[in-house]
Amino acid sequence: MSGGLADPDLVLRSRGTQQSLDAFVVAAAFDGAGRQAAFALGDGRVVLASPADPWQFVTAHEGAVLALAADCAARGFISGGDDGALRRIGPDGATGEIARFGMKWVEHVASHAGGRGVLACAVGKRVHLYDAAGAPLKTLEHPSSVAGLAFDARGKRLAAAHYNGASLWFVAAKTDSPRRLEWKGSHLAIAVHPDGDAVVTAMQENALHGWRLSDGQDMRMSGYPSKIRSIGFTANGRYLASSGADTLVLWPFFGGGPMGKPPLELAGGDNVLCSAVACHPKQAAVAAGFADGLVVLADIESARILPVAAPGRGAVSALAWNADGTLLAFGTESGFAALVDFSKR
Amino acid sequence: MSEISSPTTVADALVPVTVLTGYLGAGKTTLLNRILSENHGKRYAVVINEFGELGVDNDLVVDTDEEVFEMNNGCVCCTVRGDLIRILGGLMKRRGRFDGIIIETTGLANPAPVAQTFFVDDDVRARTRLDAIVTVVDARHLPQRLDDSAEAAEQIAFADVIVLNKTDLVNAAELADVERRIRAINRFAVIHRTERAALPIAEVLDRGAFSLDRVLEHTPAFLTDDTHEHNEDVASMSFEVERPIDPEKFNAWIGALLSTKGQDLLRTKGILQYPGETRRFAFQAVHMMADGDFVGPWPADVPQRSRLVFIGRNLNRPQLRRGFESCQVD
Repeated sequence: MSGGLADPDLVLRSRGTQQSLDAFVVAAAFDGAGRQAAFALGDGRVVLASPADPWQFVTAHEGAVLALAADCAARGFISGGDDGALRRIGPDGATGEIARFGMKWVEHVASHAGGRGVLACAVGKRVHLYDAAGAPLKTLEHPSSVAGLAFDARGKRLAAAHYNGASLWFVAAKTDSPRRLEWKGSHLAIAVHPDGDAVVTAMQENALHGWRLSDGQDMRMSGYPSKIRSIGFTANGRYLASSGADTLVLWPFFGGGPMGKPPLELAGGDNVLCSAVACHPKQAAVAAGFADGLVVLADIESARILPVAAPGRGAVSALAWNADGTLLAFGTESGFAALVDFSKR
Repeated sequence: MSEISSPTTVADALVPVTVLTGYLGAGKTTLLNRILSENHGKRYAVVINEFGELGVDNDLVVDTDEEVFEMNNGCVCCTVRGDLIRILGGLMKRRGRFDGIIIETTGLANPAPVAQTFFVDDDVRARTRLDAIVTVVDARHLPQRLDDSAEAAEQIAFADVIVLNKTDLVNAAELADVERRIRAINRFAVIHRTERAALPIAEVLDRGAFSLDRVLEHTPAFLTDDTHEHNEDVASMSFEVERPIDPEKFNAWIGALLSTKGQDLLRTKGILQYPGETRRFAFQAVHMMADGDFVGPWPADVPQRSRLVFIGRNLNRPQLRRGFESCQVD
């Protein structure tokens, strides 16, 4: 990281809007239109943020917000909390309840805007699907609690991570029997390759596991010093970005896949763990957040690192791009949140 | 930036977690209700499995299904509670809203996966500390439980604190007998005799029993009374040696012992004197998962002798003694 860190806060200062939110930032997301960001907080609030307007504070849950995603409509968000509620939050801050699950936590939510739109949430071993209006579609049963949820790029399939593997469901199928992807251990975060041929999970054992769907080939990616909280594929599908090491770790998914190859490592050298990653939606670039609060933007082909925010504001716990890649949102465990504008000026 | 490393939390900032085990009907829920309703000015998040029994209105009650999974590392006894990893992670996001966490296990639960969860997960280790395992037993029915199930003995073997409850339902001789059986399994736990689980909350919470600083603190009668015969499946043994311990020899020996016999060794604890070192080295393990570090200097009134304690099954006393003795410096 030579040269670029002379003023690591320059980008945040010149192109960012920021606020201290006084609560753990659990997740960040942009609405479908990419105009408004939301930060989900550990004290039950969801903060709606856009660069030009004052940020809006919405009391969304009674306990902590555990999960956040864009609504499947162009505007608004859905959120899940440890109060057992699945809620919808409009762009104006109005909230509505989609479902309530009593004492059980709503730990993961996901959505897809394709077709008429679909919403999903994970509550214990069950994944519940809803249509765009919030009417229940169906419930998918899993052998153990679901720890990660992701739609594929087209919204046709839903992947759920759990113990001893993952389940891949066809969202529109009349009869519900998933494809079970098996691998011993506890599978947490999950991502589906943009071309739909690979599913990757982050495991409790400080490793990633992947399945190539065309031939069932297992892909093991290990060597991490800590738990991997955050994974994602680059827009072109050539790399899988991951947190969990003291660099940004990128596994190659071209030329036969990552098996037996070393990953590309960027933005390392400070002995600080990478805690969050977010791949740029258009370009071969990845935003990475670290445990000391540093946020950088890494260009994969040139291996150039652009510092976005300096260390010192808490471990980066949430990171998200809007759909056209002009806005980056990030938040930290100690409650700092910012929006950074990357559009051409 | 080279000075900055990943954040480490000081021990005081870690949220204490108390694990409450015991058979259905032993008085676990009564004790839990006492803890939650007593006026101690503290707030506890409670993780339970059998919702409905708990008559206390507490917005920090979390209902979970115990989900034990085997780590994918080739070790069959490395089982952890995946649901707890998720729940503790979730609770820590609203830090500051409670002073401690209490985890109630189901009646038949083996405490090992709960304890091992605190050794395995980075996030759990970074933000919480296992404070103590508290086991509630029913003075009247314990003998029968010990005869017909392995879990009853394991719950006693893992305990730091044992609440010997319902003492009003047995006579003095029966009570002495049941206490003898508990001692045969675990000579190191603190035992409280209670009726209706009534005891000062301070005897149960914030014990620091898993703190390396306090390993073997509660074992005054260390070498005495270690010879009597007993027929329990699970037993405890202690060893003490005079000469300092060679760290390399000890690591090689204990490492091999835990990896081959770890399944039988429920809990292992030790305080070691290394040559030329004024500080004590504290060591503890749950099955194969071990943790150790230097703790403060030897107290003036304590002889500087290395001590090691095993609680488990099929303990071979001569073999363990010879092994430990061979770790001394020449």
